[in-house]
Parts: sequence; C-alpha cells; structure tokens
Amino acid sequence: MDLYPAIDLLGGRFVRLYQGDYDRETVYGDDPIAQARSFEAAGAPWIHVVDLDAARTGEPVNRDVVASIAAAVSVPVQAGGGVRDEAAADALFSAGVARVVLGTAAIEDPALVRRLAARHPVAVGLDARGREVAVRGWLEGSGADVIDLARAFSDAGVAALVVTEIGRDGTLEGPDLDGLAEVLGATEVPVIASGGVGSLDDLRKLAGLERAGRRLSGVITGRALYEGAFSVTEAVQVCTGARPGGAP
Amino acid sequence: MSRVAEPPARIAVLDYGIGNLRSAEKAFQHLGADATLTADPEVIAAADGVVLPGVGAFGPCREALRRAGLDGPTLEAVASGRPFLGICVGMQLLYDGSEESPGVAGLGVLPGTVRRLPPGVKHPQMQWNRLHQLTESPLLEGLGEDPWVYFVHSYAAEATSDVIATCDYGGPVTAAVQREQVFATQFHPEKSGATGLAVLGNFVRLAAGARSVADRGRS
Repeated sequence: MDLYPAIDLLGGRFVRLYQGDYDRETVYGDDPIAQARSFEAAGAPWIHVVDLDAARTGEPVNRDVVASIAAAVSVPVQAGGGVRDEAAADALFSAGVARVVLGTAAIEDPALVRRLAARHPVAVGLDARGREVAVRGWLEGSGADVIDLARAFSDAGVAALVVTEIGRDGTLEGPDLDGLAEVLGATEVPVIASGGVGSLDDLRKLAGLERAGRRLSGVITGRALYEGAFSVTEAVQVCTGARPGGAP
Repeated sequence: MSRVAEPPARIAVLDYGIGNLRSAEKAFQHLGADATLTADPEVIAAADGVVLPGVGAFGPCREALRRAGLDGPTLEAVASGRPFLGICVGMQLLYDGSEESPGVAGLGVLPGTVRRLPPGVKHPQMQWNRLHQLTESPLLEGLGEDPWVYFVHSYAAEATSDVIATCDYGGPVTAAVQREQVFATQFHPEKSGATGLAVLGNFVRLAAGARSVADRGRS
C-alpha cells in the first residue's frame, strides 16, 4: 500500500477542509512546494495534490503551483480537482503530473474517462457521502451509488479508484473500513483510500484490509500528517514494511 | 586541505518536443550537474554525458526524434564512448524495433526487440516495483538490496546479455541495461525518489569521469 501525502491548494496556500466544508478550512502553510519536497525527503512514494479552487469552480487557478510541485519532486505526483475536460487533463500531464484524478467529469461524462485513460494514467475519484457520490467540490450529490460506479468503471482502463468518505475527511475519526472493503470486492481496479485517517493504527487497519483476495493499493493522508499524529517516515513503514526511497 | 572544485559535469538532455522532459533536466540540476534540455548538436557534442528521455509510444517518439534532427547527434554521442543514458521510451528507442510500432526501425544501438509485457498482468505496469540486480554495474552502485523504483510502461526490451536488472511483473521484465558506456532504464529514475536520484547521481559521476579522461587526453 502506497502512502500519498496530500497537499490541498486553496488560493495558493495548502489547507485542509473539515468534511469538505469550504468554510471550515485550516491553513497549514503558504509554501506547498517546500511541503512537497519535505514529503519526498521523508520517503513518500507519491504526492497527492488537489486544486480545491478548481474543484469548486472548474477554474484551474492553482495550476502553476501544481506544475511547480511536479517539477520540484522526483516522485510521481497525482493531481486532481476541477479536471473537467481533456484540455485540463492534458495541461496537467504536460506539467509533469504522473496521474490525473477525475471526479465530477468522470461521473457526468464517463466517455471522457475512457478517452483519456487510453492515452494517460487516469484515476477516478469517487467521493461519497454515505453511499451517494458527490460532485462539484462535494457541494452537490450525484444520485449515483458508489458501488455501482466502482463496478461501472471496472473496464474503463483507469489506473485507480480514489475512494473518499466525505463524512470522515479531515476528521481524523478513522476510515470507513466496511465501505472500502465493499469497493474492493466490487472491482478489480486498484483502490486508493482517502478520508478519516487519524493514527498509525488506522493505517495498519487499512494495510490489513482484504476482500476477495484484494488489498488497497494506496492511502491518502493529510490532516494527520500536518497535525503530527505520525510522520511520513512512520506512515511509509506501516504501509509497506519499508518502501520506497530506501536508498542509503 | 582544500582543492579546486571541479566544474559540474555537463549533461545534455535531448529535447525532441514530446511530453514533459523537464523533470529529467530538473533532477540532474538538483544533483548539481550542469544539465540542459537541448536539441543543439554542438551542445550535445560538448556534453560529458547525454540523456535520451521519452514518454508515450515508440513510433511517435521515434518520428519526433528524427524530425528534431537528433538521430545523427544521438548516434554520434553513443559512438564517442561518452556515457549515454536512455530512460523509458528513450531506452526502447535504442533497440532495433518494438512490437508497439511494427515496421518502425529503432536506433539499433542495442541489439534486440522491445516486446509487450507478458499477458495476465495489468497493462501498463504503473507502480513502484523492486529492482533485482543481475550483474554489477556502475549505474546501479550503492542502491542497496532490491530497491523500489517507479515504472510506467506496457512494453519492455527482451532479455539479452545487456540486461543488468529486472523487475518481476508476470515474470522477469527488463528494467535496466548496460552495453559499454550505453546505459538505459525502463523505470523512471527522475520519479523514483532517493533511489532514482542515486542512479542519476551515478550517471553524473560516470560523465564527470569520462570528461577527466578526455581532458587528460587533450593535455
């Protein structure tokens, strides 16, 4: 299981929202590039970047910052937030992003996912409130069921499903293990868990989660790292034994 | 005790207008090398080490390299005996050809064909995977045992005597090769964290070493 430390960008700074509420942000700093470098130096195998402004409005106001992060680190960067058409996805890939996460666009235009996935590594973000997948910066419900969508994207050629339980995101209350197990059982696409991780014990539970012989391929953590619940180095060890960045 | 600091090794990263090649250039600069993304034959000829990155499909990359006028400078760099590094599709271009683009001739620097990854595993391989070193090579020096590196590919070079490391993906898959001063990695060292930087650092040292030999030859 790969650790994806998260950098959520809002107005050029990096923040965490509480349950996706834009009025309940905590600002953690104004140098996201230095933060990405420090995650990398601590051994993170990936950096996960979300443009929260773009997620809400579709306007990629933080794209230069995302590009700077991708250029600054020598680990792959996964980026999402407001990627609603091929041009937006292509711009991120040209900026050096290794994998783009499609959320709203994936739900509203599944054909876009298939087109992009044929050319680039693409992940689909399934952000659920309960079982219902939310769209547009989590401000609207889609009426679609997370398990149905996980099945629907099984043959779309995507690299991963990023499954977020909105009710837990930014809460440190622990991930939704039952819901994640259900998604694991519904698809053969690699699943990355997001939302609610608050302790190393949560990471251990996620690393040990198994359904139909499948395990999670990754976990995204934000607040727990920023608030010092554990370090990236400790988290990477729990996630995988010791990987990667294991060079002397 | 002090000594005069040597000027940094000059690394030419071949620029043929495909994908994002900046990350390789940045990684070399991060290591203190004098790295330039360039298509200028003079800059390439003057470099201590030459890097051919690549992303996408074999055929379009091969065509882009030719159109950029880089076939000649690339082959000259290889023939000069200066350290040369191919990365991902840049590695694949060094072979005779690829199953991905039948009928498109590769550069023919390394004998063999690039083949589709074995059936029964997900294509592309897009993940961190462990490197199994088969023989000693200065490119992979000091990496520790079975280090993790980052792969994105659906094709890989067939097994030949040039292979220095493999990864396991539905069977052994060629991950790195060396033939004299031509080195190549199927994985992305510029995206492989500390291990990747160690690989690129080894290449910079090889390039610096090649220069001092050339300088001694001149004096």
